[in-house]
Amino acid sequence: MNSLVVLIPVLPFIAAIIIGIGQLIGLLRGETSESTTAFIALWATSMSCLLAFTLLGTDLLHKNASSFLLGQWLSSETLSIDISFMTHGFSLVLAALFSLLLVIILRFSINYMHREIGFHRFFFVLSLFSSAMLLLILSGNAVGTFFGWKIAGLCSYLLILYVYNRPVAAINATRVFVTNRIGDASFILGISLSYAWTETTNWLNLRTAAEHLSTGEATGIAISFAIAAFAKSAQLPFTPWLARAIEGSTPSSTVFYGAVMIHAGVYLVCLLEPIFEKAPLAMALLVIIGGLTALYSYLVGLTQTDVKSCLAFAMSGQLGLLFIECGLGFWQFAKWHLCAHAIIRTYSFLTAPSLMHNVYENPIKPVSPVIAKQRWAYTASLQRFWLDQLTDWTLIRPIRRLAQDLSYFDDHVIDHLAGIPKPAINSISSLAELEERLISASLDNDNPSPSFSYSNGLIGKITETFASITHGFEDRVVLGGLGKGTINIGRKLGQSANKFELLVLRPRYLVLFVCITLSLAF
Amino acid sequence: MGILSLLLWTPATGVLLLAFTPGQKTTLIRTIGNLFTTLAFLLSCWLLHLYNQNSPELQFSEYFPLNPNLGSAYALGVDGVSMPMLILATLLTSIALIASYKLPKSVKGYHLCILLLEFGMLGVFLAQDWALFYIAWELTLIPLFFLIGRWGGQRRHAASLNFVLYTMSGSVFMLISLLAVSQYDLEHVGSLMTTLHQAAKDMPRYEQILVLLGFLIGFGVKMPIFPLHGWLPLAHVEAPSPVSILLSGILLKMGAYGLIRAVNMLPEAAHSLQPLLVFLALFGMIYGALLAWRQTDLKAMIAYSSLSHMGIILLGIATLNEIGLTGAVLQMTAHGFISGTLFLLIGLLYERTKTRHIGDYSALIQLMPRFSVFISLALFAAMGLPGTIGFIAELHALMGGFQQWGGLMVFFSITVLISAAYSIRTISLLLTGTIKPNMQHLVDLNARETIAAGLLVSGIIGLGFMPSPLIELSAATITQMINQISQRLL
Repeated sequence: MNSLVVLIPVLPFIAAIIIGIGQLIGLLRGETSESTTAFIALWATSMSCLLAFTLLGTDLLHKNASSFLLGQWLSSETLSIDISFMTHGFSLVLAALFSLLLVIILRFSINYMHREIGFHRFFFVLSLFSSAMLLLILSGNAVGTFFGWKIAGLCSYLLILYVYNRPVAAINATRVFVTNRIGDASFILGISLSYAWTETTNWLNLRTAAEHLSTGEATGIAISFAIAAFAKSAQLPFTPWLARAIEGSTPSSTVFYGAVMIHAGVYLVCLLEPIFEKAPLAMALLVIIGGLTALYSYLVGLTQTDVKSCLAFAMSGQLGLLFIECGLGFWQFAKWHLCAHAIIRTYSFLTAPSLMHNVYENPIKPVSPVIAKQRWAYTASLQRFWLDQLTDWTLIRPIRRLAQDLSYFDDHVIDHLAGIPKPAINSISSLAELEERLISASLDNDNPSPSFSYSNGLIGKITETFASITHGFEDRVVLGGLGKGTINIGRKLGQSANKFELLVLRPRYLVLFVCITLSLAF
Repeated sequence: MGILSLLLWTPATGVLLLAFTPGQKTTLIRTIGNLFTTLAFLLSCWLLHLYNQNSPELQFSEYFPLNPNLGSAYALGVDGVSMPMLILATLLTSIALIASYKLPKSVKGYHLCILLLEFGMLGVFLAQDWALFYIAWELTLIPLFFLIGRWGGQRRHAASLNFVLYTMSGSVFMLISLLAVSQYDLEHVGSLMTTLHQAAKDMPRYEQILVLLGFLIGFGVKMPIFPLHGWLPLAHVEAPSPVSILLSGILLKMGAYGLIRAVNMLPEAAHSLQPLLVFLALFGMIYGALLAWRQTDLKAMIAYSSLSHMGIILLGIATLNEIGLTGAVLQMTAHGFISGTLFLLIGLLYERTKTRHIGDYSALIQLMPRFSVFISLALFAAMGLPGTIGFIAELHALMGGFQQWGGLMVFFSITVLISAAYSIRTISLLLTGTIKPNMQHLVDLNARETIAAGLLVSGIIGLGFMPSPLIELSAATITQMINQISQRLL
């Protein structure tokens, strides 16, 4: 029974592969095959959902083991990483809930995305995302969770870029992705620290090992994972990415930022509950960051004018509250809050497109006069507390300038030293080049390539010089001197020998020799 | 009659049969020629099947005294160094004959010479007696002189004369060295490799060095080693392409093979000459690579790249350690395959266009896709790309050299860089660009040519991905050789 857990993330993955291949070979294309794609995606996710609920049922009847070991993914001398899945507790609850929400969102998308250009692509990414998210929640060890974490991040990038020919979408998607990389780095640090100090990456073993950790070690691990969680759940200072991410279409915003992915951070913190309990500093950090984010989101949310931005800041505020609850130790409360929040947000995001109809003749309440009079607060709120500008100023600009300087160095120093390779393909790239070639066509035929062993750059020039020296040596000494030279010398020697022979054979010399021989003999 | 004699005399029987065949019956002559080369190839495969690669000793030995007064004997045997060479020799000869089916004139003489050449080459690799070795060595000269001089290009007479003069003068030094060693063989008064190996122990150090220098000149001309390579570019460019395949594929390896045997016989001298050997190897590698980079003639480019690649073999031999020697033996096979493929393909291209100038070609990938795939793979192997046999061999030689000399191997890396430069440039000039009007009617390789080239290229790739059978084949012999060398050096 436990083994069924493997199928929960695998089924949507298979659906993603089928849709992807179908699209590549041209089977799934256009409006006619929309129903096929939708059927595949919906069926796979529904099956996952059913499986998740079945397992949840058996877990409630206390028939499940705590985890299921599939096999070993990697093992070396000291490091061994298993493929294991959680089959017990909060993970299963969340898997059941999220898969249900995913089914609802998928069903909603079928109508919502109808006749959109990237219909099949959307369902491919959404299926892949479902699989990644369920893997993230169900994986029994940190490495598996990180796989899901990363693939989910990639899917979010792809869906923010859904309308990829809009420059704004491209900028936003890149920014979101890069921001999330900070969290990924922290996640990897967390995995390494837990492996270094507890020699396991298994979540369950890590929880039991927490007892033996010193406060310092627990704080290290907890803070690493906490930063990863802050990045994923859009807490300060990472909050601005959330507002950029709602660039994507409504169902994808729902699935990523409303219901599912945004909660991954809180889930991670809940998973590491025993470690956080051992680290008061990390708990305090959760409270502080959560509190600041809640306050920030509230203030910024007041001045937002479009539905999705409002929802985004409401959400980061709620997540801030969740972190406060975790930080204060109300773990059970935080878990219930998480589930409730996921359901509510799914509803509010999915109804966002029709909100204008619903609030017609039902105006939004004005802000209380005490806050409304604070002009600086209004400016700050409108500018979202200049967080984006601050990041630009402290991180992006210096790095960009460094890159420019390095590029200058590369162009003006390295390229001159090493030389620029000729274009590898000697085809005609521009009309001007074609004309040039046509004009010089006759010349070209006479002297096929004058610049044959030509090269540029210092190293290229050195090679060229050495090559011509070698060539000169080869030509004059090896080929000319030894080769032709020996033949010529041999020929000359032969000629002189012939001459000598002719000379010797003349009668007067012959007589002379005979005389000399006779005189010597006697 | 043992299997080795059977293998050796198969081409000779072919020669005899051809001699009595009327010259007008070209089809019959071609059939006989191909039949006997294929037979020899199958026999060598059968030999490979019988060969026990775990034993380092000589196998299938045959001994028959020829001239008791002089001590020379008809002694044959194979070990791990000569086994791959035998396969290569018979394979490349078959392919050379397949590639020369369009021969315009004197079909009979051509086939006769090729079979005689194969007889000589097999004799060199099978002989276990220096006298027999020397006879076979000189025997290869006669057919080659005619093959280059009669069927070659415009300067064929100069090329063949040059080739023979060079090799003959080298052989003289080799002969003197052999005589010098055999003087110390007082008990047997013979020229068997094994007894001379013992005799060389008793020589004074300086005489050993002189003898090894004699061998170095003799084998170095054939290999060729840097200053003695004057015949190579001319002979390669002027020789007909099938003969170029044999020339660079196997005849160059005869020099390397002889040098390995000589170094095994005189390890003390080799140890003293190690600095000279490594200098010649590295200098020759860079020298050949630079010149290959400058050539506009495709065949001259491959000829000079051969010079560069043979430097790797010399380097491997000069290391006097196991991994380096393995690299040398592997490079012998690798270069046989690679240069064989390159000369075959360039020869087939030349047949179609009658030009060897790189600048005359472009966009062959659109005109001759099969040819393009094969030549790209062969050039990649020539530059030592991983996944090809060239990489395996170069890696071994590099590791052996690094063990022995460390940082000096930076020159090896420079060679690899230059060889990458000329290989990639050749690929881009040949294959890309716009179709030239006079090349529009080029036809791609036909079935027979595709089989010939495909066989060699699959060898390059197959042994590149699974090199262990080839390495295992010579491992036992090389280990034993290195043991003997290190015992003598102690």
